[in-house]
Amino acid sequence: MIVFISGGAKNGKSTIAQDLTVQLSAGGTHYYVATMIPADEEDNERIRRHIEDRDGLGFETIEVGRNILSCLETADCGGTFMLDSVTALLLNELFPDPLCPEMDVESARRCGNDVVTFAQSVKNAVIVSDFIYSDAARYDKVTETYRKCLADIDRKLAAASDVVIEVAAGNMILHKGELPG
Amino acid sequence: MKLIIGGAFQGKMEFAKEKYNLTDEDIFMCTADEIDFSKACIYGIEEFVYACIQNGTDLLKFFTEHKEEWSGSILICQDIFCGVVPLGADMREWRQVTGQLCKYLSGEAESVSRIFCGLEQKLK
Repeated sequence: MIVFISGGAKNGKSTIAQDLTVQLSAGGTHYYVATMIPADEEDNERIRRHIEDRDGLGFETIEVGRNILSCLETADCGGTFMLDSVTALLLNELFPDPLCPEMDVESARRCGNDVVTFAQSVKNAVIVSDFIYSDAARYDKVTETYRKCLADIDRKLAAASDVVIEVAAGNMILHKGELPG
Repeated sequence: MKLIIGGAFQGKMEFAKEKYNLTDEDIFMCTADEIDFSKACIYGIEEFVYACIQNGTDLLKFFTEHKEEWSGSILICQDIFCGVVPLGADMREWRQVTGQLCKYLSGEAESVSRIFCGLEQKLK
């Protein structure tokens, strides 16, 4: 089963994704695919918070900042995978050098296809993204390219998913399918 | 009139094309302060608003006066309402006027669809 979760920032997407992952794994192996490459102390703090949040839930953590399919070389495809998040993965793929606005759009496109392939290659996938599309701003070209690439991946994933959930203040809005019960 | 809203890049136009069997020729793309209601579908109402507030057009008045021309149309507007209050006065006005217009159009619409990651959420 593929579950796609998006919604505004700081709304409880990861917590909901964790719970669904544990539920879908039904006592089997479940992986936390961590995609963020920390750039500063603030990132490290965020990662510490996430690790604390999933402590005791039995996750095996896989760190993979680019080339998501590479983690299937060692992990068990029969397991349940939580990928958190598409947003961070795309950031790493689109901007090979984090300190430079030079974009690798080709890599971003491949990344989108890879994430769908990844989700379809494992027993269960719970994939988290971010909804960053509804503000009144006219962004520069780099930011618009990033938003468009992320939206393209989101839509591909939503189409390939069995369940699509939008999270608002820790609550679920079901856009597609039925919650695993 | 059918109103379609949703965030940027969410697939609003693709949805309209598929659901209402439209081709590119049926769609008017707003890029400036002009609009062609003879087309079945108007895309980018927020861009029309953006251009109109630069020259002081009263948008609600404009849409009310042209109601007969769009009452059978498919109107597509981007949801630009969920961010922090914009710093620039013109961006604040853009957001406010687009919001007022969306509320008015929602009231007039026979259906309102919100597109989220390419999926339709029926609001009305």
